[in-house]
Amino acid sequence: MSAVIETQDLTKIYEGAFKGQDVHALTKLNLTIEAGEIFGYLGPNGSGKTTTIKMLLGLIFPTSGKIRILGRKDFGSPAVRRKIGFLPEGAYYPDFLRGEEVLSFFGKLYGLGGADLRKRIDWAIELVGMKHARKRLVRGYSKGMRQRIGLAQALLSNPDILILDEPTTGLDPIARKEIRDILSNLRDEGKTLLISSHELLEVEMISNRVGILSNGVLQTMGTLDELLTSRDVLLQVGAMSAEASGKLTAAGLEIEDQVKDNVKIRVPDQVSVYDALELCKTQNVPLLSVAPRRETLEELFVRIVGAAERAKEQS
Amino acid sequence: MSSIISSVRSTWTIAIYTWRQGMRQKTLIGFLLLSVLVIFGSSFLTAFLTQTTGTDTQVDIEAKLLKDICVTTISIFGMLITIFISASVVPGEVQNKVVYTVLSKPVRRFQYLLGKFIGVQLIVIINLALMGGLFFIALYAKQRIMPTLLLWSILLTYFEFLVVSAFTFAVSCSASSPVLPTIAGLFIYVTGNLIEYLKDVYNRAGQTGQWFDELIGKVAYGLYQILPNLQNFSMKTQILYLQPNDPPKDVQFPNLIWPKLWRGTSSRIGFSGARSCSPS
Ligand SMILES: Nc1ncnc2c1ncn2[C@@H]1O[C@H](COP(=O)(O)OP(=O)(O)O)[C@@H](O)[C@H]1O
Ligand SMILES: [Mg+2]
Repeated sequence: MSAVIETQDLTKIYEGAFKGQDVHALTKLNLTIEAGEIFGYLGPNGSGKTTTIKMLLGLIFPTSGKIRILGRKDFGSPAVRRKIGFLPEGAYYPDFLRGEEVLSFFGKLYGLGGADLRKRIDWAIELVGMKHARKRLVRGYSKGMRQRIGLAQALLSNPDILILDEPTTGLDPIARKEIRDILSNLRDEGKTLLISSHELLEVEMISNRVGILSNGVLQTMGTLDELLTSRDVLLQVGAMSAEASGKLTAAGLEIEDQVKDNVKIRVPDQVSVYDALELCKTQNVPLLSVAPRRETLEELFVRIVGAAERAKEQS
Repeated sequence: MSSIISSVRSTWTIAIYTWRQGMRQKTLIGFLLLSVLVIFGSSFLTAFLTQTTGTDTQVDIEAKLLKDICVTTISIFGMLITIFISASVVPGEVQNKVVYTVLSKPVRRFQYLLGKFIGVQLIVIINLALMGGLFFIALYAKQRIMPTLLLWSILLTYFEFLVVSAFTFAVSCSASSPVLPTIAGLFIYVTGNLIEYLKDVYNRAGQTGQWFDELIGKVAYGLYQILPNLQNFSMKTQILYLQPNDPPKDVQFPNLIWPKLWRGTSSRIGFSGARSCSPS
């Protein structure tokens, strides 16, 4: 495997008008994305995701650090850009162009033309479900329609690398599902994707590796299997008395969810599962199932970002 | 070689799409309709007057009136369109962030700006051609002589627009909204047309011997030296007082093709003739 996107100590400081107002948007980011990976770039609002992406595309300049794309230092050159499709955050496209004109405009900038370009435009418009509105001015598009045209222009030149900045923000559930399907198809085709998002469920569904950013610092990075390894166990039990519930909690178990006679009890790593089962038995709690409990990406995210926030407040 | 061709092609693509977007903007269409209305209205009005009193001198006076209105309309509305477009094309895309999407494509910043500037020129030229064409037809209908002099005037008017447009565009590249470049463009347009007055101010200053009087004189002289004299591009007096198919006076071609637009360093260019032939 070869690195497609590589950063070394990438740092961006936005200089403020006054002393002490500088924004440290990104601090010493070391990121490597291999060919064929779907990298989920996660972080709360203002954590520096868009800043990173803008630097990768050469739209803004790093304060310090290095970037290589496809192993090349001249990552902003037209030759490298031709291999990248980019969906910007916020879906801004020329208001006074029709949907299909936006695509032909960007297509021509990629060096496409003639029948080939027309074919690709038809294909991309069909793919994102914008056939009905292709002749309308972008000015009259809804947010979701703009986002769809945005995805179409990112895919138009059939690029090997796709950089998508919050592709599903502001979309309805059906559109989200459609876009997710498009993205998993791209994954199957072997494209390399960098997806910035805070829609954790979706990232969990399609990414194979994630990095979590908070306050411009990469807090953790790895495959989902590596990151979501908690050795907690989940017990599912039937109806139980208030007394039994009190005893269980006192023993260090956590009642996660209680719906009438279906209770989910989490057994933390430090409590022995056998002790927990023993306790259930003595309290006459009907046992339904015992299973390993994998942490969700959301829990990981909240835990890591929360810890980073607390560390920041203390310093 | 192929990279040069593709780079020229990208620049041209940006120019064409800038033009296409520009021609769809309501403000622009509004200006254009208004000027068309004035040109039509004035030719209709003068035609109406001619019918009622049909003497030869009358026709002359009315043709003069038509010319006066049309030349002024084209100059003012054309200039407003030019300034508006030149000032807003780049800041507009910076404000609505479209610039990021475009610059993420295989396009260099230089190509983007050049493409935008050429696009602006396309818009300006098309507008001028439309207004000038209408005036041309109206004038021909009135006098039945091919108004070739008018074509010269339109060409020169374009050069005037080009100077103001280039200046406005340059300011707009480092502005975050169209306001500042619009003001800059209007400033150049107005002072560029009043430049002879600056010279007057300079000549008259210093008579009272007061310090601020001299200062004003110096400022006026400084401005006179650095500002372009846009009156050099005006053929209004020739249009008004010469026959429509007379050859233009004082058009110095090498200077037009290679214009030394800034008069401080250059000898007089273009149209000193415009003033010298006025009936004073
Ligand atoms: N042009 C800018 N000037 C100053 N600060 C900026 C600028 N753009 C972003 N920032 C700041 O940098 C930080 C990171 O922003 P951004 O990269 O947009 O975050 P994200 O995309 O993760 O929401 C934020 O604190 C934001 O306010
Ligand atoms: Mg962002």
